[in-house]
Amino acid sequence: MADNLISLDRLKAFWHSQVHHEQTRAHNMKLLRAAGLFAGSILLMRNYGDLMAI
Amino acid sequence: MAGLVPPGPTTVPAGESKKAEEKTDFMNLPCPIPFEELHREALMSLKPEAFEGLRFDFTKGLNQKFSLSHSVYMGPTEIPSQSAETIKIPTAHYEFGANFIDPNLMLIGRVLTDGRLNARVKWDLTDNLTVKANAQLSNEPHMSHGIVNFDYKGKDYRSQFQMGNAALFGASYIQSVTRHLSLGGEVFWAGQHRKSGIGYAARYETDKMVATGQVASTGVVALSYVQKVSEKVSLASDFMYNYITRDVTSSVGYDYILRQCRLRGKIDSNGCAAAYLEERLNMGLNFILSAEIDHRKKDYKFGFGLTVG
Repeated sequence: MADNLISLDRLKAFWHSQVHHEQTRAHNMKLLRAAGLFAGSILLMRNYGDLMAI
Repeated sequence: MAGLVPPGPTTVPAGESKKAEEKTDFMNLPCPIPFEELHREALMSLKPEAFEGLRFDFTKGLNQKFSLSHSVYMGPTEIPSQSAETIKIPTAHYEFGANFIDPNLMLIGRVLTDGRLNARVKWDLTDNLTVKANAQLSNEPHMSHGIVNFDYKGKDYRSQFQMGNAALFGASYIQSVTRHLSLGGEVFWAGQHRKSGIGYAARYETDKMVATGQVASTGVVALSYVQKVSEKVSLASDFMYNYITRDVTSSVGYDYILRQCRLRGKIDSNGCAAAYLEERLNMGLNFILSAEIDHRKKDYKFGFGLTVG
């Protein structure tokens, strides 16, 4: 029980450091934007790429 | 009753049966592409040689193997600055080049008006062994570099060993694992800086697409995906992340190869949009337009040029 609470606290601390801390939030948003662009573009290319053919 | 056809044995379309019968012959895999060209499709589509200013290239063939080239460039050159502002200084240079191209031997030399010399050698010693050398010589002290590569092409693998000045040593190996998948790795040691590194790469290629991934101990994670929509059209996307410098960039682009022109365009996650057009005006005469707009840095680059020969 105590172990679970400790790891939950650590998770919360990690979440706060990544989301609420200004610098890491900016970096994470940049990473998310780039990863989203990459993954989204692959999905679009695979499903609708033929529309760009001439 | 004449119209009814009794159900025969289960029929499978011809294409599917061929695919089912095709088993991978692991003793007969294709030779993979060289390790340094892993991302070549994505690089060709997403990273054209963009420039700013005027560019004029003239190549004169003296005979079948030997040619001379003259290049003029006039435009601003970006210099590194401490602040976020981009600093550019106007530069102009003339470059004289000589090229010898033989089926087994290629020699290329370029000399610039500021005293820099570039030299490249590619020598096919045998069908499987190639020696490549690259040198940049400069008047400034400690700014000259040279590197020699020994490439060996096996049946379903390629290996490379390289040596450079400043005690640089490197080796890479890539192996075809299946008909579509190849895996490889590289190591390097830079003696002067006392640094070493190791990297792994994978490439999956079919008729319709190419997907590559590379991870290195220098902190680089590089992924790319190219969709070959048709013979004339390719769509490409890449993702580059450095977990040490915490820098990340992703870009998406297209590449249209038409009869009279080649058009490439891309946009990336840093707010930079670029386009590159090469138009064939006549036999041996090409017109080039290059544009790059960085919305974040408010930096605009436009270039135009002509290539003759």
